[in-house]
Amino acid sequence: MSVLPLLEVDDLHVTFNTASGPVHAVDGVSFTMAPGASLGVVGESGSGKSVTARALLRLFAITDDVRVSGSVHFDGADLLRVDERRLRHVRGGQIGMIFQDPLTSLNPLMAVGEQIAESLRLHRGMGRAEAASEAVELLARVGIADPEKRATELPSSFSGGMRQRVMISLAIACRPRLLIADEPTTALDVTVQAEILLLLDELRRSEGMALMLITHDFGVVAATCEDVQVMYAGKLVEKASMTHLFDRANHPYTEGLLRLVPRFEDAHTGRLHPIPGQPPITGGGGSSCAFAPRCAHAFDRCHREIPPEVAVGPEHLSACWLAADRAKEGTEAGRPWRRTP
Amino acid sequence: MSDAVVVGSTLDTGSPEPEEAAGPRGVLEVNDVMVEFDTDAGRITAVDGVSLHLATGETLGLVGESGCGKSTLARAIMQLVPMQRGSVRLEGTDLGTLPRRELRRMRHRIQMVFQDPRGSLDPRMSVSTIIGEPLRVHGIGDRTSRARAVAEAMELVGLPTAVSDRLPSELSGGQQQRVGIARAIVTDPAVLVCDEPVSALDVSIQAQIINVLDELRDELDLAMLFIAHDLSVVRHLSDRVAVMYLGQIVETGTASEVFTEPRHPYTQGLITSVPRADAESATRLQTARRLVLGELPSLLDPPSGCRYRTRCPYADDECAATEPPPEAVDHTDGLHSLRCHHWRDIAVRSGAQPSSNSQEQAP
Ligand SMILES: Nc1ncnc2c1ncn2[C@@H]1O[C@H](COP(=O)(O)OP(=O)(O)OP(=O)(O)O)[C@@H](O)[C@H]1O
Ligand SMILES: Nc1ncnc2c1ncn2[C@@H]1O[C@H](COP(=O)(O)OP(=O)(O)O)[C@@H](O)[C@H]1O
Ligand code: SF4
Ligand code: SF4
Ligand SMILES: [Mg+2]
Ligand SMILES: [Mg+2]
Repeated sequence: MSVLPLLEVDDLHVTFNTASGPVHAVDGVSFTMAPGASLGVVGESGSGKSVTARALLRLFAITDDVRVSGSVHFDGADLLRVDERRLRHVRGGQIGMIFQDPLTSLNPLMAVGEQIAESLRLHRGMGRAEAASEAVELLARVGIADPEKRATELPSSFSGGMRQRVMISLAIACRPRLLIADEPTTALDVTVQAEILLLLDELRRSEGMALMLITHDFGVVAATCEDVQVMYAGKLVEKASMTHLFDRANHPYTEGLLRLVPRFEDAHTGRLHPIPGQPPITGGGGSSCAFAPRCAHAFDRCHREIPPEVAVGPEHLSACWLAADRAKEGTEAGRPWRRTP
Repeated sequence: MSDAVVVGSTLDTGSPEPEEAAGPRGVLEVNDVMVEFDTDAGRITAVDGVSLHLATGETLGLVGESGCGKSTLARAIMQLVPMQRGSVRLEGTDLGTLPRRELRRMRHRIQMVFQDPRGSLDPRMSVSTIIGEPLRVHGIGDRTSRARAVAEAMELVGLPTAVSDRLPSELSGGQQQRVGIARAIVTDPAVLVCDEPVSALDVSIQAQIINVLDELRDELDLAMLFIAHDLSVVRHLSDRVAVMYLGQIVETGTASEVFTEPRHPYTQGLITSVPRADAESATRLQTARRLVLGELPSLLDPPSGCRYRTRCPYADDECAATEPPPEAVDHTDGLHSLRCHHWRDIAVRSGAQPSSNSQEQAP
């Protein structure tokens, strides 16, 4: 792609020091996003998706004993190295964020219109009156009926879906160039989820904003994202376009995730296929394939060396020794195994 | 799986009608149940004239948006909330008319699995004590037979004996839910009511727990009421489904019929809203938005006539004036019925058919 990337993450590592030892939550993650791109990040709970998102903006709690390395270039500057002032400007300004639970990220004691207006004054330098009327506009923009009245209400008087809309209006208030949405619909009903996903998609198209969407649901990614990356134990194990991944998932972990959930279009087709075992609680940081203890295809080498990321198709990368060996042999660098029907 | 003649979940017109005499009686028969709550803002009807039946070995999935009354219905069936109207019969006995002591004796035949595995387990009790608790409460068996039943239940749900003496906090989320299920089956119930049993679990654990429930049902011939908001999971586990909206069942039938040939506009909207990992995902959501308009109305002020009319794209004056009575979808097995004035004019939106073998048919 000839377009300059909007976001360029290189060899990102995040390690927490905990009472029971270090947790390598993010273990050498690299990826880029073009302006206006849409990227889904999928993986089991604890695979490092949220920490990756938080690390991009250095959003850690004061109590976190955390070490971050690598670089996060956004719009020319390395966000891991800019000063706090600049970073505050980026947060909620050029990069917006939405979290799973809107209640924890909205101020419960402040009318929602005021919260949005405050952000507009801070990031877009608007005056009081202008910010207030723009806040109402934004609420209307995300589909909230009767926005003038709703702007004066507290978050607690909104339903879950409406609160998430408020969060979105807050996140897009400053016309961010990148919106990071961490499980934005996990707590919502499917009908509300459908509306929020459509809204995110429309905003991305109309505002030209890039979208990074974190979820455990491939269906959600399919509805909103062109590209997808699969995360396991702090590493990106597979990257592909969403359409490519449907029929050409390469990494055994991705295959496992796809087979794990019943597909809606299937009637009962026997038992499900859970991935045996659990993700390592200490994250990455090992010297083998982190998935090896759970992988049905593991062989000697998987337990000895970390598999490199190899191309298995156009703009399709997989970090698996099976794929690497095939690529070297020059045989079809396709899927290592077929999905059982 | 039971191959007995299945007792259908007939929709009720709201006025209690005598049970149909024909056919075997269900192990669970819920008839015209109504549950009201007094809230600060006024009285609401959380469950409004719901009837359903369950046969041995059969699973009925209950779906609908948050707040539509699924849990309240489950609690009414368990006799945990008072009903304003209606009856719940378990193996022929009307639970509502039983004296307290008799009711306690019947309780072990119907058990419940909850959403939050951790919150529903006593943090100070060991795993084996928790699982054996219902046996002690109901005074079933002696020490040895209880220990044996606990061991059996643990084996059935896939809990290693090594965890017997652990506390709930020392277990993973999946193991905690296995304890919850073991406790529910230890009394050898006829009916298991599962309220969102996998919603709080991570995807990979969900699959394990779904398999446990699936196996138990086959092994123990359990009748199961399965509440979940994940329609894919419901489709996977259920023989029949009931779709609930604002306290009422608006459509019911076999899972395959309701999911592949939904007739009620709300069911069509729900099914179309499920994000699927395929290339049509985004366009399907556009369709969904046209089928479910706006927001869920408040139970404090439910719409007149058809309760779905404020969100229905097909609503007209008749929908506002009269409540649609339940009607059976004729050409089918007789289990499929719904409440909609205009269902004959509304095209089947084959929600869940693989595009490869489209069997779309005009109504
Ligand atoms: N503040 C923290 N202190 C210590 N360890 C942490 C902290 N935050 C996250 N971790 C650990 O980092 C790893 C990745 O966590 P993360 O929250 O990114 O996972 P996730 O993929 O987002 O999971 P989920 O789907 O549950 O949100 C986990 O092992 C987690 O326990
Ligand atoms: N104890 C209660 N007091 C007052 N209202 C209640 C009570 N329990 C449930 N409700 C109300 O009844 C309706 C149905 O609730 P519930 O059955 O819990 O929905 P669901 O389980 O489908 O999410 C909701 O409006 C809820 O707020
Ligand atoms: S590298 Fe080996 S263990 Fe890892 S996913 Fe590939 S086959 Fe499985
Ligand atoms: S009765 Fe009318 S409003 Fe109700 S679902 Fe049918 S068409 Fe829609
Ligand atoms: Mg997370
Ligand atoms: Mg509930």
